[in-house]
Amino acid sequence: MSALTPEQMEGLFRAIQLTREHEFDCSECQNHLGEFTEKQLAGLPTDEVLARVAHHLSLCPQCSEEFVALEKILRAND
Amino acid sequence: MTMMVENEINWPEALRASGRESSAAVDALRGILLNGLRIVLRERSDVGEAQLEDFTQEALLRVLERLDQFAGRSKFTTWAHAIAVNTAFTELRRKRWQDVSLDALTADGHRLQELMVMPDDPGNDDEERAQVLEVLRQAVAEKLSDKQRVLILSVLRGIPFDQIVQLSGTTRNSAYKLFHDARRALKHHLTTAGLTSEVIRTVFAL
Repeated sequence: MSALTPEQMEGLFRAIQLTREHEFDCSECQNHLGEFTEKQLAGLPTDEVLARVAHHLSLCPQCSEEFVALEKILRAND
Repeated sequence: MTMMVENEINWPEALRASGRESSAAVDALRGILLNGLRIVLRERSDVGEAQLEDFTQEALLRVLERLDQFAGRSKFTTWAHAIAVNTAFTELRRKRWQDVSLDALTADGHRLQELMVMPDDPGNDDEERAQVLEVLRQAVAEKLSDKQRVLILSVLRGIPFDQIVQLSGTTRNSAYKLFHDARRALKHHLTTAGLTSEVIRTVFAL
């Protein structure tokens, strides 16, 4: 058993701080990830729904990793 | 199919068609998904061509199963790439973390509050930070369930929800909801104790 690292403690405080009453779960994020990524790449403004995607990505490393990958594919295919 | 520009294809219609048109659309989409996965996985030494093909085939099946869920908010191929990425990354995470022991995680998770120590940064006011940390420890001990403590510890150690899901027999969304509920409980406890986000940000220089 090892103590949490300073980075993990910081991550915990950040996760608490970012917590909202209503958040997208992973499925909801995935449902809008394509639209979100296209708009991010095009520099287009995002609405309230896509703001929730951005918020979920700030808290979920797995969805965030998939967003980065999708962004890479779309950039390469542009 | 090959003569058409990708964006001009009505993919759902082409994939639902019967006979040669459908077959051509499936082949074309397979090629597009394979290229996409190559782009994101080509630098990984643990992913060979055979595995890329497997991921692509699995992703293609999922896309076809979910055709009715395509809402047209993005290009069809973007939507399909997102499914392919999710398919491949979920499997790669599963392999990476397959040796994690639920027993070890559970034992540590139940004692999460004891693992929480003050970040060692002499540049800040240690007394104030220690007070905040004590309130948080108390909240972790009193406001969270054992499952929530295990989940929080797992997330902080970088173990993906997918793996936690597999170990604990739940779903990714259920795990995320449990994580969300835990964070809400901790935030509520801290706020009630007068420790708002602004205070925490200041004290811990976040």
